[in-house]
Amino acid sequence: MDSFRKIDIDQYDEDVLQDSELYDADPRDPAEVLEDARQRAGAVRGLLARNDIAGALTIILDNAPYGPNVDEAKNLTLTTLLTILNTTKSTEITGVIKSLPLDAQDTLMKYLYKGMAMPGWGDISGSVLLGWHEKLTEVAGVGCIVRTMTDRRIV
Amino acid sequence: MPQIFTLSQTPVTCHSFSADRSQIAVSLNNNDAQILSRQGNEWVSTVTLSEHDKLITSIDWAPNSNRIVTCSQDRNAYVWQEQPDPETGRLVWKPTLVLLRINRAATNVRWSPKEDKFAVASGARAIAICSFDPENNWWVSKLLKKPIRSTVLSVDWHPNNVLLAAGSADMKARVFSAYIKEVDERPAPTVWGSKLPFNTICGEYTSPAGGWVHTVGFSPSGDVLAFASHDSSINIVYPGGPVVYNIRMSSLPLVSLTWTSEDTIVAAGHDCRPLVFSGSEAGWQEAGTLDDASGKSPDSRSGFGGSSVGRLKAGAFATFRDADSRGQSSSGSAATDTKLSTIHQNTITTVRPYEYRGSNITRVSTSGVDGMLVIWDVNAVSALSSRLGAAHLR
Repeated sequence: MDSFRKIDIDQYDEDVLQDSELYDADPRDPAEVLEDARQRAGAVRGLLARNDIAGALTIILDNAPYGPNVDEAKNLTLTTLLTILNTTKSTEITGVIKSLPLDAQDTLMKYLYKGMAMPGWGDISGSVLLGWHEKLTEVAGVGCIVRTMTDRRIV
Repeated sequence: MPQIFTLSQTPVTCHSFSADRSQIAVSLNNNDAQILSRQGNEWVSTVTLSEHDKLITSIDWAPNSNRIVTCSQDRNAYVWQEQPDPETGRLVWKPTLVLLRINRAATNVRWSPKEDKFAVASGARAIAICSFDPENNWWVSKLLKKPIRSTVLSVDWHPNNVLLAAGSADMKARVFSAYIKEVDERPAPTVWGSKLPFNTICGEYTSPAGGWVHTVGFSPSGDVLAFASHDSSINIVYPGGPVVYNIRMSSLPLVSLTWTSEDTIVAAGHDCRPLVFSGSEAGWQEAGTLDDASGKSPDSRSGFGGSSVGRLKAGAFATFRDADSRGQSSSGSAATDTKLSTIHQNTITTVRPYEYRGSNITRVSTSGVDGMLVIWDVNAVSALSSRLGAAHLR
């Protein structure tokens, strides 16, 4: 009865609005993005060994992979980010967030939501993600959440 | 002190004042436009303009020619003119249909500064530029189409009567030429360009984090463009560079703005209070808000702001928790929690100039989903830190 709802009506529209028209594509090649993500994961490990949380977050959140065909780089970045989040003491979180530039705060919020959306992740890292979410919202406000929802450059 | 009026229990979709500010045309979220007259501290409905069959989305009252234009989701626009009735001789508002030639809802309408044209934004990925055709005694339209990719949500005219800014749901604000040969003289060159045939694109600017562009506005000189988008940011564009200043807000998105002078903007939206932005070509920042709570006691704004756990736990969360654990329905303290600490109790949908002094605006009017009309003094700016907005988590 509801099968008509599954019909892709856009295929009959010659002038349909494509996702790619709604944001500027990443100029980098997917292989290059992946290589970049790997290097950053290495750099983050080094910084974490020296307990430089803010530095590690800045590196991983800068120029984060987005768009199609870079799923591997996206997942690698998410797992690396989660390592950082997990190793941060809860008393340090607010200070670290305040030291981040606005762009990095917005990107961090995107990853927190991505992490919460991963099937099964809620059991493992749900409380960590929620803790960061609460503190990030205190600093950057609900505007930061709004930007996560509107931004088509999905991480 | 802001003047506060409750116009209705329904949302006020849009409002527009007559030139002497003694009357206001509003859409109360239905298909009739109401003209209200001010009697003391009340607004009393005097005339109903009934012609549309669907929700009226926008109204503009031309100050010099005293004509009202309304546009609606029924894809039509009407120009209303006050004329003597042939039988009784009384003045009545007579509608003239406009041939818009659009196949989706009309969303926004504005008279040009000279009041010889108006622009109708629409969901048909087009803007209709309408001018009067005296031979046939109706308004004809010419469509701005390229390169619009989605619904146009707002339009604003440049003071030269030719350039038009438009904000659209394809995340872009654009500046078009709406030059109509039959109506306009050749415009002088501006910072936006010198050769301006119809549908010239003089500028195209993307909202940085990809939000629908809700509102656009030219500065009084027309040399600067501001637009606010659904990514909770406002952008100010100097076309020469082009230099674009982006201000990210920690609060909810703005949906309407108006310039009050060459260096200040008043904007409002889902955060329920008007914000003031100020700056120059060297940079822009949030200056504060017009909604100062000093007249209210701290107790009356309980719920959010005061406690560190924030509004969610204090407001709706507490209501459900009490209902669940103690079987309490919302009453007593929970009822006061539903009152926002701002004057407007819901989204502000329109901000418009109310009073001019020279080229500057000294007072603005706002109306919103809560059915209220508020007139604010734009110089009464209070700092944001002293005051929490409706939707601030703290």
